[in-house]
Amino acid sequence: MFVLEGIWIALQQVWAHKLKSAFTLIGVIIGITFLIAVITVVEGMNRYVQEDFAGSLFGVNTFTVVRRSRIQTGAETEERRRRQARNPNLTLHDVEVVRRAVPEAWRLAYSSDRGFDEVTYKDRNRRNIRLIGASEGYEALQGWEVLDGRGLTPLDERRGLKVAVIGAEIAEKLFPDVEAVGKEIRIGSHRFEVVGVWDKQGGLFGNIRDASILLPFSVYRQTYARNPSEVDQISVKMRSLEEMEAAQVTVEGALRTDRGLRPGEENTFWIETSSELLDTWDKIVRVLFAAIPGLVSISLVVGGIVIMNIMLLSVAGRVREIGIRKAVGARRRDIMIQFLAESSTLSIIGAIVGIILGIGIAKAVEAFTPMPASVPPWGIAAGLTLGLLVGVGSGLYPAYRAARQDPIVALRSE
Amino acid sequence: MNGEQGMQMNGNEVIIETRGLTKLYQMGSETIHALAGVDMEIRRNEYIAIMGPSGSGKSTLMNLIGCLDTPTAGEYILNGTPVQGLDDDELARIRNREIGFVFQTFNLLPRASALHNVELPLIYAGIPAKERQEKARNALATVDLADRTHHKPNELSGGQRQRVAIARALVNDPSILLADEPTGNLDSKTSEEIMNVFEELHASGQTIIMVTHEHDISDKAQRVVTLRDGLIESHDARADGLLAGV
Repeated sequence: MFVLEGIWIALQQVWAHKLKSAFTLIGVIIGITFLIAVITVVEGMNRYVQEDFAGSLFGVNTFTVVRRSRIQTGAETEERRRRQARNPNLTLHDVEVVRRAVPEAWRLAYSSDRGFDEVTYKDRNRRNIRLIGASEGYEALQGWEVLDGRGLTPLDERRGLKVAVIGAEIAEKLFPDVEAVGKEIRIGSHRFEVVGVWDKQGGLFGNIRDASILLPFSVYRQTYARNPSEVDQISVKMRSLEEMEAAQVTVEGALRTDRGLRPGEENTFWIETSSELLDTWDKIVRVLFAAIPGLVSISLVVGGIVIMNIMLLSVAGRVREIGIRKAVGARRRDIMIQFLAESSTLSIIGAIVGIILGIGIAKAVEAFTPMPASVPPWGIAAGLTLGLLVGVGSGLYPAYRAARQDPIVALRSE
Repeated sequence: MNGEQGMQMNGNEVIIETRGLTKLYQMGSETIHALAGVDMEIRRNEYIAIMGPSGSGKSTLMNLIGCLDTPTAGEYILNGTPVQGLDDDELARIRNREIGFVFQTFNLLPRASALHNVELPLIYAGIPAKERQEKARNALATVDLADRTHHKPNELSGGQRQRVAIARALVNDPSILLADEPTGNLDSKTSEEIMNVFEELHASGQTIIMVTHEHDISDKAQRVVTLRDGLIESHDARADGLLAGV
């Protein structure tokens, strides 16, 4: 009941002195705003990387054989990087080795790709595109879906047809008001018929797909590849994580045997999975989250000191009230609880304002930048808990001062 | 004390008993005897005035009787409970249950409504909200303020404020009503009004102890205890309530 009394008094005071309250609570508000904004953006990035980015780059339950690691984890040494640079190119022979090693693979595809200057249609063009020459099944393995027209077929590959499936951004740029499918585009000195357009991926890293053009591997090899026998990557998709991990070991063994590597010798190829990327991301997130408490606690400590001062003033101004309460039967702990409830209410109001502002900032970041935001419930819980802790912490000393007032002196005070 | 036995047979049991009540204050190196050994008895439904010049110890006596303070020496038995030696929280409990205070300056919470002010002792007694409000409304009705429950003190006249304070003092059914110069801040007409409230309460069985320095106030009491230099100078029984039936 004294808790309610304290909460009620705090609410009345905040309402009666809105500007003063805003200044009182500014430390807590800034601290919690910062906390929530950072948590929300990092959590949004986190979700995005785990659910969309890693999946769209590597696919779920998928591993990819490449010549050398493309992800800089910061963990490998300079020496290892130099050793990897000596790895031989992957070839169609390696594709056969992998295919024979895991005949049970759900999907298996290989591809090569390169950046390219420009694609044109009549007088329109799109610059900075990515050309991908891919085997049959590549789109399915990547989970790319064709919105208009069709994807590549085994027939395109076998006959070496000059057909292309294009990303949504390229389609928007070249064909703003006409149907893309059936039109002839020009890439360098060659012409291709557009047979399909993918749906738009969007998002932070969406341009990887949205600005790509997919060609039959055989056509790409003859037309654009620097080294015709070269394959940039071989991807294997399994039906479950366990299958994927088993297949990864099998493929590694098969390639080592094929290349005549002795036990103890390093692989002369590299196997990438989405978990490798996620590990790197996790490290970044952990560093970010390790930095938050320091920054947040500084403003919360400052905010707590301000609240403590305001509470001390409040106690000093209400000595007679304390005397009256004691005269009619309030015990020390009743007074203590009342003032703690008051300081906690103040601080939690600050925390709630901070949470709202933090979410607002995160949503603004989401609206004006490609960075996604996601409000985790634990972030809100953390904000409120910190608000309560600051409130109780900053109220302890003022509440103690209030509680030990001598009622006789307090009743006589003005 | 043989007299005590006799009085209890008349139904007027002793509600306050002090023996050698002493309070010393240390002022620098000097020891001040605010109370130098007070023996007194007050019986249920007595109406007593405590008088004396300033410095006579009447405020100290009131603080001790009101359990706001503890004696340096001597005994104080309130409604059968020895009060000397109790700690702060135990004293708060006794104030809550046994004593209703009425002050010269009213001492109402300025931002709270009349109803909430009257509810205050019940809050600290742990009474549930519904019962609390009902009791507080009844107490306000007793002092003719049933229509002022939601007024803040600054929306009430001095007399009304003092009646809110009286309602607050009564709401817990205390053993004694302890009034400290209750008309000191009121004009003579309002003072009379408030004194009438006290007389009605006394008539309905309430024990009243009133600290005052005004003779026309103390004239209403059945008995006047006059203090001087920390000691009782005289017991003056007027309409002698100690004699049953008079």
